Amino acid sequence: MRGKAVLLAAALALVAAAPSLSGQATHAHPKPEVLAPGYGPLEFEPPLPGSYALPPLGRAADGDLLDGRGRATQLHQLLGGRIAVLSFIYTTCSDINGCPLATHVLRGVQDRLLDAPSLHGQVRLISLSFDPERDTPSVLARYGGYFKAPGFDWRFLTTRSQAELAPVLDAYGQWVIRDPDEGALSHLLRVYLIDREKRIRNIYSVSFLHADTLLNDIRTLLME
Amino acid sequence: MRVNWLGLLSSFVLLWGTAFADETCMSPYMAKIVGQEDFVYVWTLGMPGVGDEQDKLATVDVNPRSGTYGQVVDALSVGGRNEAHHSGFTDDRRYLWASGLDTSRIFIFDVHSNPAKPRLHKTIDDFVRQSGGVVGPHTSYALPGRMLITGLSNNRDHGGRTGMVEYTNGGDYIATHWMPIDGDLRGAVKGGRHADGYGYDARALPRRNVLVTSSFTGWNNYMMDLGQMMADAEAMKRFGNTVVVWDLHARQPKKVLDVPGAPLEIRCAWGAKNDYCFTSTALTSEIWLIYEDDDGEWQAKAVADIGDASKIPLPVDISIGADDQVLWVNTWNDGKTRLFDISDPHAPTQLLERRIGEQVNMVSQSWDGRRLYFTSSLLSNWDKKTGDADLQYFKLYTWDGEALQHRFTLDFIAEGLGAPHQMRFGAYALYGLSPLVKVAQR
Repeated sequence: MRGKAVLLAAALALVAAAPSLSGQATHAHPKPEVLAPGYGPLEFEPPLPGSYALPPLGRAADGDLLDGRGRATQLHQLLGGRIAVLSFIYTTCSDINGCPLATHVLRGVQDRLLDAPSLHGQVRLISLSFDPERDTPSVLARYGGYFKAPGFDWRFLTTRSQAELAPVLDAYGQWVIRDPDEGALSHLLRVYLIDREKRIRNIYSVSFLHADTLLNDIRTLLME
Repeated sequence: MRVNWLGLLSSFVLLWGTAFADETCMSPYMAKIVGQEDFVYVWTLGMPGVGDEQDKLATVDVNPRSGTYGQVVDALSVGGRNEAHHSGFTDDRRYLWASGLDTSRIFIFDVHSNPAKPRLHKTIDDFVRQSGGVVGPHTSYALPGRMLITGLSNNRDHGGRTGMVEYTNGGDYIATHWMPIDGDLRGAVKGGRHADGYGYDARALPRRNVLVTSSFTGWNNYMMDLGQMMADAEAMKRFGNTVVVWDLHARQPKKVLDVPGAPLEIRCAWGAKNDYCFTSTALTSEIWLIYEDDDGEWQAKAVADIGDASKIPLPVDISIGADDQVLWVNTWNDGKTRLFDISDPHAPTQLLERRIGEQVNMVSQSWDGRRLYFTSSLLSNWDKKTGDADLQYFKLYTWDGEALQHRFTLDFIAEGLGAPHQMRFGAYALYGLSPLVKVAQR
């Protein structure tokens, strides 16, 4: 864990852990007493795919990115044609209910898709870093290697600079506070479901993010 | 100047909870201030003959360490009167949505660029058209990346049938969800006699995939003179008698529960296993529990009386403690606040009764429950026009677990502001700011 990678992520604490967050010498996160719902079995019977609507929430924005080999690409080149699940993360995030939750849930979606042959090739997962200084393409490639199943379409992407990242974050409403002195980041965890026409169809935050509901939403879009 | 940025952040957290307390009554998707709040934003009705007579967002400095503690440090008028009523933050807490029950306009304030001086960012002027006829936007409730707005009425008969309307955080219309009503239950089942289609407040228990809504009355009543309405037997029949339990993910109504007597504010428990919410009924003066029973079925039952119902105390705002142990209940007609022990949610008991002032309406408490803010106004045509000198006020009390201590009062008429209604808290630390650097660093 990088000492200064203190993150006050959306998930930071439950009520029991709420009274203080500290930027103390260890820069460690208080261990949450309760893990986010996305780590356990869903505590309710979700609505069946296709039984509900996911009205469009606007167009998914484009942006200049770097892929895992450091090659320039556009976000829009990765959207459209397939359903996409877009997650903003950074690899040094130390809050278990923050970025690691997003990656955990995306891996759960990957596992479920691998078990559903009819869905093969229909979905792309994208993890985009909002820490371009530390999350270089090679760092992200190594990070992604821990989670991505061989051959599965899960892209781990970054940007050249804050200047190229900023308009992407703005367009998606992914707000990040940066400590100008220490490089710490504070952000609201968000994952976006994007349809084949590059429209945002759902947004998930920490109390809402679960592989089962996300997969049902994917199936709902595929049934349209 | 170098800022102890991390130290500043220690005064708030971004929570994911299962429910809520004003700091304790908001969306579980939202950042919470758990330390000292810097400001209270008061959505204020314009009053004829008072100041510029316009609705306005008043910003009160409530940080005791500030040189302007206890003062109104900003008042942002919106260009007319709209029946200013409720407000709510977006999930990232950067914007405050505040609506008008009469004009159905929604004002979106930027509160993050300079928390001491909000800026009007955008106005939604066509809520009724966009929504397909919903009138009277009331609660602004944050969902992930979007806002859910409850309505009170409709543009066909201005009665109580209404719906909920979703917008993106950017203010773009998404969808309308009409309340279930006899003849169009939209897949819901009736738990009792009523399915009136009325609306008022909304709160979620995301872990259980549940959204709970309550029911008040339509434009014809809430814009009518109170005395005239009370004398009109037909008008008095047109109040909501239902609470609806929704599938939160699907936005579909599941069950309509009988809760007679206009159930208003909904406050859900915060505890990870506390699958229940409270509401109070304005006309029958009761606390009701909305809860999931042992069979997983959602139910509603009256669990306590609020004062003497025959004297019509008229319960208005309620506020639940962050530890789910206490519930503050204001009653507008007798100007009192009451504290209930809700450690057994099925059998609340009253711990305290205290007069706050004429027509007390809203109450908002800090996360630690030590500071309680009260305002006076209910509706422009219902508010009392004569009586005590302090008819329209903002008051701070502190609570030590045994007694309420009055700290200060702001007379909103003497200040030339109007009639104060809903309060929301602000803090520099939410945005990585401090009073010393404020916007200069951004």
